[in-house]
Amino acid sequence: MSYVPGQPVTAVVQRVEIHKLRQGENLILGFSIGGGIDQDPAQNPFSEDKTDKGIYVTRVSEGGPAEVAGLQIGDKIMQVNGWDMTMVTHDQARKRLTKRSEEVVRLLVTRQGLQKAVQQSMLA
Amino acid sequence: MPAELTQEQSPGNQTSLAMMQEPQEMVEETVTVEEDPGTPTSHVSIVTSEDGTTRRTETKVTKMVKTVTTRTVRQVPLGPDGLPVLDGSSPLGSYTDSIDRRYLKNGERYLPPQASSTLTRSYNSYGEGPDGPYRSFHAHDASGGYGGAELPDGYGSLSRGIGYRPRYAYVPGNSYRPEDGSYTLPSRREAYGPPGAQPQVPPVGSGPDLTVSSRSQPERFQPEPYGLEDDNRSLGVDDEGYELDPDYSTVTRRLPAGVPERSRPHKGRAYDEPSEGEMIDERIPYIHGGYAAPLAQPERGSMASIDRLGKRSPSIDSIRKDPRWRDPDLPEVIAMLSHPIDPVKSNAAAYLQHLCYENDKIKKDVRHLKGIAILVGLLDHPKAEVHRRACGALRNISYGRDHENKVAIKGCDGIPALIRLLRKTSDMEVRELITGTLWNLSSYEPLKMVIINHGLQTLTNEVIVPHSGWESEPNEDSKPRDAEWTTVFKNTSGCLRNVSSDGAEARRRLRECDGLVDALLHALQSAIGKKDTDNKSVENCVCIMRNLSYHVHKEVPGADKYQEPEASQAASTGALPRRKKDDASCFGSKKAKEDWFSQGKKNGGMDRNFDTLDLPKRSESAKGFELLYQPEVVRLYLSILTESQNFNTLEAAAGALQNLSAGTWMWSTYIRAMVRKERGLPVLVELLQSDSDKVVRAVSIALRNLSMDRRNKDLIGSYAMAELVRNLPSRQQRTAKNLEEDTVVAVLNTIHEIVTDSAENARSLVQTQGIQKLVGISKSSQSMREMKAASHVLQMVWSYKELRGALQKDGWNKSHFQTAASSAPKGPKGTPGKAGYDDSTLPLVEKTHDNERCGSRDMIPMDELGPDGYSTIDHRERKYRAGDPSGDASEKEPLKTDPARKPPHRSNRASVNLVDGRDPKPPPVDSWV
Repeated sequence: MSYVPGQPVTAVVQRVEIHKLRQGENLILGFSIGGGIDQDPAQNPFSEDKTDKGIYVTRVSEGGPAEVAGLQIGDKIMQVNGWDMTMVTHDQARKRLTKRSEEVVRLLVTRQGLQKAVQQSMLA
Repeated sequence: MPAELTQEQSPGNQTSLAMMQEPQEMVEETVTVEEDPGTPTSHVSIVTSEDGTTRRTETKVTKMVKTVTTRTVRQVPLGPDGLPVLDGSSPLGSYTDSIDRRYLKNGERYLPPQASSTLTRSYNSYGEGPDGPYRSFHAHDASGGYGGAELPDGYGSLSRGIGYRPRYAYVPGNSYRPEDGSYTLPSRREAYGPPGAQPQVPPVGSGPDLTVSSRSQPERFQPEPYGLEDDNRSLGVDDEGYELDPDYSTVTRRLPAGVPERSRPHKGRAYDEPSEGEMIDERIPYIHGGYAAPLAQPERGSMASIDRLGKRSPSIDSIRKDPRWRDPDLPEVIAMLSHPIDPVKSNAAAYLQHLCYENDKIKKDVRHLKGIAILVGLLDHPKAEVHRRACGALRNISYGRDHENKVAIKGCDGIPALIRLLRKTSDMEVRELITGTLWNLSSYEPLKMVIINHGLQTLTNEVIVPHSGWESEPNEDSKPRDAEWTTVFKNTSGCLRNVSSDGAEARRRLRECDGLVDALLHALQSAIGKKDTDNKSVENCVCIMRNLSYHVHKEVPGADKYQEPEASQAASTGALPRRKKDDASCFGSKKAKEDWFSQGKKNGGMDRNFDTLDLPKRSESAKGFELLYQPEVVRLYLSILTESQNFNTLEAAAGALQNLSAGTWMWSTYIRAMVRKERGLPVLVELLQSDSDKVVRAVSIALRNLSMDRRNKDLIGSYAMAELVRNLPSRQQRTAKNLEEDTVVAVLNTIHEIVTDSAENARSLVQTQGIQKLVGISKSSQSMREMKAASHVLQMVWSYKELRGALQKDGWNKSHFQTAASSAPKGPKGTPGKAGYDDSTLPLVEKTHDNERCGSRDMIPMDELGPDGYSTIDHRERKYRAGDPSGDASEKEPLKTDPARKPPHRSNRASVNLVDGRDPKPPPVDSWV
């Protein structure tokens, strides 16, 4: 999954719908993100392409909304409620995910396993 | 808790002091401005009158033009009310006149003659028809009051009510009387002329002037009677509106009148001479000099309006000389505040404002005559010119050392009334007046909580947040907005700065005020971004932040969760205690893959990777008061410390770091490490060279608190010792800087902290020739506190047996280290005698715990650094309070340039080395969502 700036990206994606959990005053998703175009991509342990500045799932809390919804560590987030997440700063991504007005977040994510699974199924 | 009071006050004092000093200045300025509008008008009018005599035609024209502008604005609103035939002409006339006059003065300076002239002509043509003008007038007058007033009878009644004849002298009077003829009221034509013009005006004034014009109208009225001086000021300072008005009419008149010369001088005066005495003089001069040479009676100031009238009307001259005319006395003016006609009210209020300017006696008299309650009542008046004028008067009355006036305003519910008006009005001038008044009120201790109770959230929502540029729900697609350093923001932040010093409860309220901390931080970040960190608003913001950071580790909800175990304090040496992550905010356990991100920090800050430092994770970015102590703020304060030239701001920023690093909870542990990671130690050490006593003191205490972190202690001991020692007075001479006792003691205590538990640091003290100075202080200082503090350091040094050889080689012996004052134990904690004092400055946990408001042990009270060693209270302010106002002046205007500071006195070595080489690059960011 490498990307050339300006070129369309083709990826196998999965929809993940996360219902936020109210925790005190906050609505939480139960995962953490890393990456962003303002971060050093070389330090991202999850990306295949070490120049990929995308947003990655770095942690998922056990039993949290994200885990329940099937989000996995290492997933790359492509979209959030239709908003592109492949060319955003870390903070933009965070804000996009944490809008108070949105109780449900629909993600498009891609992960290495998906790509392989699709290829295998097609071969089969 | 006396102790507490002290502490708290200290912050408060600081604030208040700052306020007092600054505010006073500030306030006064503001006041001046307000007054100006009124006063100027009168002068103008005078001029006009004179001119009028000679050059009626021209004057009229000018007036016409001016009037038009003003009216236009107002007319729109008023029009509906206006009685058809009220003869508003008179009122209109008054408006016109006043306007013109003002303009004349102002205009002379500012306005382009051409524009005005054009307008005038056109208007004139309109106004020519007597009837036309009248009608227009009425429409304008719309205000019911006018209608009644118009009739001569109405006048009579009014005057009676007031009890003095001259009432007319007042602006309103003139306008009313047209019919009376007997009165000196300006010729009807004149009066009318303007009205005619008015209709046209709207288009002219419709632009930006509207607001202004609206202001000016009331002002015009008021001003007429009073001195011009004020006007000048106002113009110069903030009111653009005035300038606009002037453009229209002023120019024209001046030219014809030949006034221009004078006008300039006036300005100069106004600015330069704020004092009342001067003002009075000015009036007279105006009269004589410019225009009214004939009239030239000093008393007239208030009568100016009359004069104007006279000018225009043939009979004027006689009127002028009529001995019956006089200024209304104070009871009359106050009675006029309740006059049924609105313009009378507003003019009376404007006149009061003028009278009160820098005249404590008048302020007191107004209070005794129950004028304050009436003014407060007028704040709710629906007419803009009325509540604006009332507010202006209150601002002047609220300024000064006489707290009785402040109490009186509060006593008649003036504070909630001001807040109500703030919510209601969008007029920037009124908002400036309101916030200026509140700033004045906030300097009095007992009113602080009242202001918080009534106005905190409103001030935050109406002023702080919108002007800070902060948005609670930022639109990602739009750029963050910058802060606007408006007068309103400056006044409001000054007010909040004062109230933030009113103790734990006040701090709690401010911290929990929705959006306040967020907005202040945003504003400061914006200031840094624009490299605009020297202004007063920034100073106020930093001071608020500093005050709110005080005792944050004890006062914030849930602070218990974050308390470091006592043990950790001791262990806080090399390896900072590893803090368990806050489970509440982070779910789940770390996974193996987390290695990278586990070290991540939140944007800009949550560095969990210092040494063994592990910042807690959050499920959401910090907000509200949490922002006060997030490690991110370290960068903010360090930027300010690097950029600002304002000593008060520098002191406050250093004080904030001092407060934040003093605590006993894990956040202060992070803060201490963060300062190192952000390369803040060299910045602080450089500031030890500041020329400002208070900056040196705050920085010194901050370093002391920071040295609770072992690595910081090592670095500070190695690289800051020379600077610290340099700040100590030597035997032969006080320091070049001649620092205050408090500062010297602070430096000594910092040295003590640094050499405690560190033979290496003690060695560097010896190497920097510190012993000589310490012995000098301990033997011969004039100050008991300095002696004791120095003795404690010496004892500590002597306790390192490995150093004794070197010390004795230098000629020192035990007697040098065992002074009478220092028969105490060595430990920092066990200090004798002055222990209380020492404790106050010590950041150590135990002390804090011992007495909540520890600093306040009997001994230390006000003079000491702060209750908790780390508190950033201002000593000065206390002193100021206590006494001399004179000192204020210096503080008011912080030195802009501190050559000594910026020039790299600092050794390269220090700056380079103080940076902890082991600090890694910022790790990747990792955010819980």
